[in-house]
Amino acid sequence: MGRKKRVKEKMSAMAKREERWAWLFIAAPFIGFLIFMAYPICFALFASMTKWTGMNALADNFCGFENYIAIFTDEKFWKSLGTTIIYMIGIPIGMILGLLLAMGMNRKIPGVRVLRTMYYVPVVSSLVAVSILWMWVYNYDYGLFNSIIKAVTGLHGPNWLGDEILVKVAMIIFMTWKGLGTSIILYLAGLQNIPRDYYEAAAIDGANGWEKFKNITLPLVSPVSFYILITSLIGGFQVFVEVQVMTTSGGTNYSAATIVYYLYDKAFSNGQLGYGCAIAVLLAIIIFIITAINFVGQDKWVKTMD
Amino acid sequence: MKKKKILALFLSAAMVTSVLTGCGVQTTEEAGETEETTAVEETTEPAEIAGEGTETIDVLIYAQEHEKVVYEDLVAKFTEEHKDTIKEVNFEVTTQEEYATKMMAAITANDLPDIFYVGPEAVRSYVDNGYVLPLDDLVDAEAVDNLWPAISSAYKYDGSTIGQGSLYCLPKDLSCFAFAYNKDLFDEAGLEYPDPENPYTYDEFIEVCKALTKDTDGDGEIDQWGVANANAFGFTPYVYSNGGRLLNEDYTKVQVAENEKFKEAFQFYADLTVKEKVTPTVEQDTALGGYQRWLDGQIGFYACGTWDVAAFMDDATFPYEWDLCGWPVGPSGDGRSTTWLGTVGFAVSSTSENPELCAELIKSLSTDLDGQKALCGETTGKSLQLPNIMDYAQSTFKEKVADGTIPYASNVDVIFGYVEGNDKYNGIFGETTYTYNSEWWDIFLEGMPNVLTGKISVDDYCNEVQPKMQKALDNAIELQNAATN
Repeated sequence: MGRKKRVKEKMSAMAKREERWAWLFIAAPFIGFLIFMAYPICFALFASMTKWTGMNALADNFCGFENYIAIFTDEKFWKSLGTTIIYMIGIPIGMILGLLLAMGMNRKIPGVRVLRTMYYVPVVSSLVAVSILWMWVYNYDYGLFNSIIKAVTGLHGPNWLGDEILVKVAMIIFMTWKGLGTSIILYLAGLQNIPRDYYEAAAIDGANGWEKFKNITLPLVSPVSFYILITSLIGGFQVFVEVQVMTTSGGTNYSAATIVYYLYDKAFSNGQLGYGCAIAVLLAIIIFIITAINFVGQDKWVKTMD
Repeated sequence: MKKKKILALFLSAAMVTSVLTGCGVQTTEEAGETEETTAVEETTEPAEIAGEGTETIDVLIYAQEHEKVVYEDLVAKFTEEHKDTIKEVNFEVTTQEEYATKMMAAITANDLPDIFYVGPEAVRSYVDNGYVLPLDDLVDAEAVDNLWPAISSAYKYDGSTIGQGSLYCLPKDLSCFAFAYNKDLFDEAGLEYPDPENPYTYDEFIEVCKALTKDTDGDGEIDQWGVANANAFGFTPYVYSNGGRLLNEDYTKVQVAENEKFKEAFQFYADLTVKEKVTPTVEQDTALGGYQRWLDGQIGFYACGTWDVAAFMDDATFPYEWDLCGWPVGPSGDGRSTTWLGTVGFAVSSTSENPELCAELIKSLSTDLDGQKALCGETTGKSLQLPNIMDYAQSTFKEKVADGTIPYASNVDVIFGYVEGNDKYNGIFGETTYTYNSEWWDIFLEGMPNVLTGKISVDDYCNEVQPKMQKALDNAIELQNAATN
């Protein structure tokens, strides 16, 4: 402490000026955070405790925890939350497929670059555009899926996006397809980080392919798996565009609607902004808890190279 | 070799889908989805129309491209006439989807434009929160007297009841959701055209629809249907024409489970698909919507809003002969074919620094004769709406339709019947016009496909959905009260 003080005393006028500048530079992102993060968060927290409609005065319509209490008995909230979680079945499927494809592409085979690009195309494509494309893949009369089904079995395929259960399957397939490119790229990077000599040593010890995969590959890409899992879970809770584009008002009996879709519906279609804020706050809490659980649980399965 | 074959299959499949996607762009739009569905153009920078004075007026509306041109001309003309006072008019046109968001942002930021749209459903909220000015002292009575009577019932409000008190908006339009039929299909089937003087009864309608439903190419599958209905817009005319209503008289109670007239109409509506099979199935409808099928000449009867007329008269869009008729009349109503009316109006902000000037401008946008001639099609050949000026509509407009100057269906009296009301026709504002939001109605629509596939009966569905709708309606009433203090 004493030493620090002495340094400060010795500061020249120029150093002081520099320090002021330093503070200014620090201030820029900090003020940005206050304006664009802290203020909206506080605002949303407060608004979630009002009957705000976007037209009326916030403070006059304070209602405490009424919105939150209403949410707990709100059938549609639970239904859309359930659907959101069901969609997450796609996450492990996508991870397994991603890892397998990445391992395939991690070899020196001709055309591997073309393949990598192809798998990554959905990721860089506009979500709205590919959603419209998949609407047509799932089309009842003219869709790719039903055309194949008809060609193979001679029967008319199902109404993918109109059926309450199939629409979920359709969404999961779509989301898996859309996210595959990201997992492949991340897994590829992870795989290329594993030193060759581990595999050589294992081969000398007589390990077969499966044993190498189980004991070397899988543990050493676990940090990647962890990263993909966390980001997919967070992203999974925020699914919105696909539902908005591919279904008519959330599907038959609201069967395709996700929690964010419901939030949007409430806040912007039905003018219940206070209620929408309350859903948003709950959603943030849910995401926080899930992420926290993941971080606590990671010691059990995430291995590092060291 | 085998691999190549598989690859070829996939490639061709991909090509097929991309071809289908190509036509898909046009099909996603449903008729009557919103009143101005075709306003898909990107928001452009506001047009600045300048004068030499000191006053600035900000306008924010949504419009189709054709309408935008008309309004820009009107604003330019107005600025020219008032160039000593006006410095500039910022005329911003957005899309209907974006409009609500922009207005909400403007309200939150306390920065309202001087002139903007208010729909009848929003009049209470805007007035009670003090965002708009009463127009009684700003607009001369003569202009108001010449508006359709339905307008005043939509935009007058006295602080407790809609339809009484001060006038808050001048109409951008008054529209109605009429019914149309494809003449060519009637000729083919050797059927007599519907009589515009006497709309069909339920039974007559089913008979005609059955005669129109057939397999035209002999492949064993039905490919032409009597009628196609869009649940969200085309269901309530059947209900209203049977005397049914979704809500009670003061719009506080959902009555879909108790109102026998409603259920009778619903049963008829469901039977068209489930029992009589004279509409495309729910599945077929998701594959290709009724609007597209109508344009393709697969449908005998389809809804026609006043905003659809220009498109249906355009041979490139709809290469068939067609005309207007009434929605079928149920046995339990007052015998009148009844549909819903729509409107949106121009309002003046209470924060405007030039209320008189703004009122003058909206009067011109709403009732300027040249503007109305352009919008109703006399000078442009594209009828986008019914004229707002009643005199003109009933005289010149009708004559111009009759002599072919305005391309229009010849049974234009059907439209007038719905808008003015007579002993065969009637027009009302739908229930959602009177409730804070339409969530209660969305809930009804969400489960409707299950009724039309026959998965659940009309009675069971009504009983099941009514409490959910009531809960949402109660919520809307509570919000209306919160929105107005």
